[in-house]
Amino acid sequence: MKRGNLNNFSTSGSSSSSPSSMDKGKMWECEMEEPGIDDELFGVLGYKVKSSDMAEVAHKIQQIEVAMGNAAIDGYSQFPAAMDDTFHYNPSDLSSWLEGMLSGLNPLPEFDSSFDSFLESATGGLAVDDLDFGSDLVAIPGKAVFANIQFHQPSPENRNQHQPPSKKAKTSPSMGDFISLVESSPAPRSILIDSQENGIRLVHTLMACAEAVQQENFKLAEALVKNVGFLAVSQAGAMRKVATYFAEALARRIYRLYPVNHHPQDLAFTDMLQMHFYETCPYLKFAHFTANQAILEAFAGKKHVHVIDFSMKQGMQWPALLQALALRQGGPPTFRLTGIGPPSPEDTDYLQEVGFRLAQFAKAINVQFEYRGFVANSLADLDSSLLDIREDETIAVNSIFELHQLLANPGAIDKVLRIIREMKPDILTVVEQEANHNSNFFLDRFTEALHYYSTLFDSLETCDGGGGADEAISRKNKMISEVYLGQQILNVVACEGVDRVERHESLTQWRNRFNSAGFEPVHLGSNVYKQAIMLLAVFDGDGYSVDENDGCLMLGWQARPLIATSAWTMSDGYGERWNRRKYVQRRHAPMSES
Amino acid sequence: MEQLLVHCAAAIESNDATLSQQILWVLNNIAAADGDSNQRLTWGFLRALITRATKTGNTKLLTAVAHLHSNNNLPIIHNHRFSIIELASFVDLTPWHRFGFTAANAALIEAVEGFPVVHIVDISLTHCMQIPTLIDAIATRMKMLPVIKVTVAGTVEELPPFPDFTYDELGTKLVNFAMSKNLILEFRTVPCSCSDGFSALIEQLQLPQDPGEALVINCHMMLHYIPEETINSCSLRDMFLKTIRTLNPTIVMLIDEDADFTSINLVNRLISAYNYLWIPYDTMETFLPNGNKSREWYNADIYWKIENVVSHEGRQRVERAETKSKWVQRMRNVGYRGVSFSEEAIGEVKHMLDEHAPVWGLKKDENEQHLVLTWKGHNVVFATAWVPAA
Repeated sequence: MKRGNLNNFSTSGSSSSSPSSMDKGKMWECEMEEPGIDDELFGVLGYKVKSSDMAEVAHKIQQIEVAMGNAAIDGYSQFPAAMDDTFHYNPSDLSSWLEGMLSGLNPLPEFDSSFDSFLESATGGLAVDDLDFGSDLVAIPGKAVFANIQFHQPSPENRNQHQPPSKKAKTSPSMGDFISLVESSPAPRSILIDSQENGIRLVHTLMACAEAVQQENFKLAEALVKNVGFLAVSQAGAMRKVATYFAEALARRIYRLYPVNHHPQDLAFTDMLQMHFYETCPYLKFAHFTANQAILEAFAGKKHVHVIDFSMKQGMQWPALLQALALRQGGPPTFRLTGIGPPSPEDTDYLQEVGFRLAQFAKAINVQFEYRGFVANSLADLDSSLLDIREDETIAVNSIFELHQLLANPGAIDKVLRIIREMKPDILTVVEQEANHNSNFFLDRFTEALHYYSTLFDSLETCDGGGGADEAISRKNKMISEVYLGQQILNVVACEGVDRVERHESLTQWRNRFNSAGFEPVHLGSNVYKQAIMLLAVFDGDGYSVDENDGCLMLGWQARPLIATSAWTMSDGYGERWNRRKYVQRRHAPMSES
Repeated sequence: MEQLLVHCAAAIESNDATLSQQILWVLNNIAAADGDSNQRLTWGFLRALITRATKTGNTKLLTAVAHLHSNNNLPIIHNHRFSIIELASFVDLTPWHRFGFTAANAALIEAVEGFPVVHIVDISLTHCMQIPTLIDAIATRMKMLPVIKVTVAGTVEELPPFPDFTYDELGTKLVNFAMSKNLILEFRTVPCSCSDGFSALIEQLQLPQDPGEALVINCHMMLHYIPEETINSCSLRDMFLKTIRTLNPTIVMLIDEDADFTSINLVNRLISAYNYLWIPYDTMETFLPNGNKSREWYNADIYWKIENVVSHEGRQRVERAETKSKWVQRMRNVGYRGVSFSEEAIGEVKHMLDEHAPVWGLKKDENEQHLVLTWKGHNVVFATAWVPAA
């Protein structure tokens, strides 16, 4: 019976195994990373770094992201690491180079002018605008990412010129104008010359840079991305943060420093980030409430229910559903939960831990509970026959921000939709970002993402932060949420191929997929809509909008929809239990033969 | 469900958005405005908590919630305005008020026997609904028929049950009714306010009175609307009681709800309210069949209380009931002596209770000085009689 099941918990005490965490016994082989390819790439670029170091490097880059976000906040740094005065500058050692950048990102007063001259000397006195991409790789990364710090120090040639950047051609800047802007203007001495103008110019510069990247004109792109840095610091709040992330993403793309994010530690890190995001603003909560409402309604009157969660993470979605089921008229059903997630970092087994916690909770509220965790690198590796679907169960499949990742692998989404159909769910709840960040045309993707994440960051500014009375916790939550979103930005803009997993698509696109794959929509109903409005009215600020879109619900900020919840069932009536029973019997026959 | 409500209140108070929203979501799915008494009770509290939580929000969202209301998910709670007839029969449906009426009438008739003029100051939530039965009792039981003067506290504050008539109309009807019983009744209203301890009324009463007059102060479910805070060792409630005492009343009746809604702490208040207000919801099953219009009226009036206790603060929060023991303590401190109810009085109350469901009960405390109405053994309303201590 146990066909390699992991993490089996049940409160009924029936078929439980003791949690044998050491027996990882993965069901499916991990994709093996191609050894050494990263090493080669970096070797070519002159970096001595091993791909095994990348996790640490990634972590440090994340620190930079946060620190850059803080650079203009006076004396405000929450990252204790690497903020020492010693400056290491050995360009062939990527890791310590990053350390150096972090140390250099101290708040303004501590900025050492000698640093800049050190930099100059290290690069042989190359001026900002005179760098030939590809020739002096050593110097480029330092300057590129330091763009907003150099801002405070005029470059040597222009130290004596004080004129503010020229204000020509704001509305339709030509490439030439930008280049000359970069070449001639000194770093302005005052920060806030004309914030709004700079804001407009900032967006234009970003777009111009993206266009340059699209056209593979990397020299121009590089120059532009530095300029973004200058302009970004003159902005406040969301605009600055968004610009900084997009600039970094462009820089990575230009310098081929692609972020790598698929180690278990990275995924666990992202999960942690997501938890803070959950606390800070209403998006994930909305996703959970709306999906749960649809599931609760689908479970009405049913005695045995089974939820298969593709987005298990920390299981934040389920306590509320369990509680509602526990207190419903007629008493709770028996509840099975199958949680699916990626492998945990060494020495941890989060799937098991989550299951255990939920089992304890269920016991406390008197709900008969069974749990299984399945580890899978990709949903496409699932085998529905191993999920032990029982005949009399009402099945809900739940996916929050997971399906779009499958689009990185050709054929994967279709396979997964087939697998879902094999489970014969009574309801499938899907929440996805409402945007098209999957265009093959880079510039389109960039533009879409810029608008989307600008809106999202805007909403973060006014967020309560989820810290209750504790200001510091709220601030921290917000910062971490920004890092969380920043990771997505990096992925959308700087990654390609299988690494680019943040392939968001719009509701319309998803609808087409589901319809073609044999699903039909389940209208979410006015109850879900009203609940959503009511819950947003409590605590969450002004500016959020809930829209009903042909049976689906969308949550947006300032009338721009940002996430969409939809519910589906099988379109050929197989969702009906009695139909399914027949199908299941038929299905069992071939299995026993093999 | 009480647990959930309590946790929700705590979460709202500590500004924990995530937890509040989760619990509100659960409660929204298990409470029902039209379910059994437990569900309706939970629904009432849920609704009040939502109102409280959204108060910290802004108007845009409040309109969103109001929009919600109009779509029937949270229907607008409409408190019925009663005509005199409607109110009379409404009040008669349960012993909730009848208990206080019967006990008070019995006690005061005994106390004022022999006085040529009986001046009744009626500070009552029920807009003089006690008076008809009092007139009747006086007419039938008193040997010497007195002249009856009724002074009514016409409060500025609107409290449920809301009247759809003026006190003038009411007065006329009462005078006529008294005439039909061969009694002379004088009726006047004194506008006043609970928030200052009915000071306007007291001023009126302090004007020189006829020495042959029996002064009866009948406080029926109103005193708990006087703010109870003690500032500089001065409490409006105590002041009121003290001043009344200086008027040398023949008897003072104090009837009120036996519950404590005075805690500053929301969670404690919620727990008290939950553990008391389940009673009116529960009693509804016995006297109001489903579908009866009066159910909605009754629900709405209970909800008014819940909302006031849970989602209001400061001056707006007027529902500040205190327990019987607390009131008794106050009365004693201020210089009153309790008076026992006679056998006849108790008999009358029992007789009245027989007309209602057997689950209603009567408790006697302290040598029959305190009568308590009970529902399934739980204290509901207490009735006490007092005279100034020597």
